[in-house]
Amino acid sequence: MATADKEKKLKEGWEGISRFFRANSLWMLMYCTGCCAIELPQAMTSRYDMERLGMGPMATPRQADVLLVTGYLSVKTLRRVIYAYEQMSTPKYIVAFGPCTINGGIYHDAATVIKSLDQYLPIDVYIAGCMPKPEAVMNGFQDLIDMIKDKTADGWKRYRDNYDWYKQNQIESLGELRIKDEYHE
Amino acid sequence: MSKINMQLKELTENVGKSYSVLQVDYPTPNQAALDFQPGDVHAVLAYLKGQGFRQMSLLSCVDWIEDGQFQLVYLLFNWEAGLRLQVRTRIDRANPVFTTVTGIYPGAKYYERDVHEFFGVEFNGNPDSSKPLFLENWDDMPPMRKDFDPQAYSDRKYKAREYKTDFNTKAGEGQ
Ligand code: SF4
Repeated sequence: MATADKEKKLKEGWEGISRFFRANSLWMLMYCTGCCAIELPQAMTSRYDMERLGMGPMATPRQADVLLVTGYLSVKTLRRVIYAYEQMSTPKYIVAFGPCTINGGIYHDAATVIKSLDQYLPIDVYIAGCMPKPEAVMNGFQDLIDMIKDKTADGWKRYRDNYDWYKQNQIESLGELRIKDEYHE
Repeated sequence: MSKINMQLKELTENVGKSYSVLQVDYPTPNQAALDFQPGDVHAVLAYLKGQGFRQMSLLSCVDWIEDGQFQLVYLLFNWEAGLRLQVRTRIDRANPVFTTVTGIYPGAKYYERDVHEFFGVEFNGNPDSSKPLFLENWDDMPPMRKDFDPQAYSDRKYKAREYKTDFNTKAGEGQ
């Protein structure tokens, strides 16, 4: 009993330490799908400088922690975003920008643009604003960091636990998840 | 409106001598829009290519649903003189078939795919024209036709977020 208790405590301690380091060193994969992406350069460069939060850009999904989905997603893009998300290693987080990812925004009636991203992928933080100002972007990132520290950024666990539900939604809207175009033939 | 480019005017007159032009328009001083019968389009395009209109910038399509017609618009550009031409023709909407112009402008290959995808016009002689270009797994009528309802398609296909309504506007409010 005592040893099990000890082990549990040790494990929690380690998790706490790794959460601390995770929260302070986040690598972003920027999937700049829509116009919201235009606010990222300001947030990244000297004026707002997100590097001071410990965030930096990463080139490949496998090495990234945060997936930024900046705006509307056509079905064609969503298919590729799902690829990118599933390639990332856990723990992984998604930050979604703008009303386009929340309810379709101004593209709510477009035939090729999805309405609500959380039907297909788990979202940890939404940033409101069409497009969100750099202050809002920074605020969203700070929220994400706080959520990682207090264990509420659990989107990747939700995705793992409700995998079938997410897959079913994806297939319902996309038909097929495999990318089949002439460049992949 | 400033004066119409003399060279362009001369050119449209020359075209009119050999082919029956149904209508001439000058949307801007260096741009002319000429309407032809479908049968004349290829000959006209070949002639114009010889007159310096080396580039076909775009093939566009307009859905005139009330007339029951599609209008094909070939946009040509002359780099030396800085002139633009629209060569337009109307085809039957119920049976939208046209002949490819890839023999004259090879780049039309992709524009024809585009028009086929979004309007459903078949291009005889272009074996690629029915391949999808932008849309993936499209399962409805070509989406740029006027009788396509994008809202209905979107509602059917993509799940919307559900809201609790906590504020109801009175009549006339929040319009
Ligand atoms: S939320 Fe607004 S700014 Fe962002 S992608 Fe949509 S339309 Fe563009």
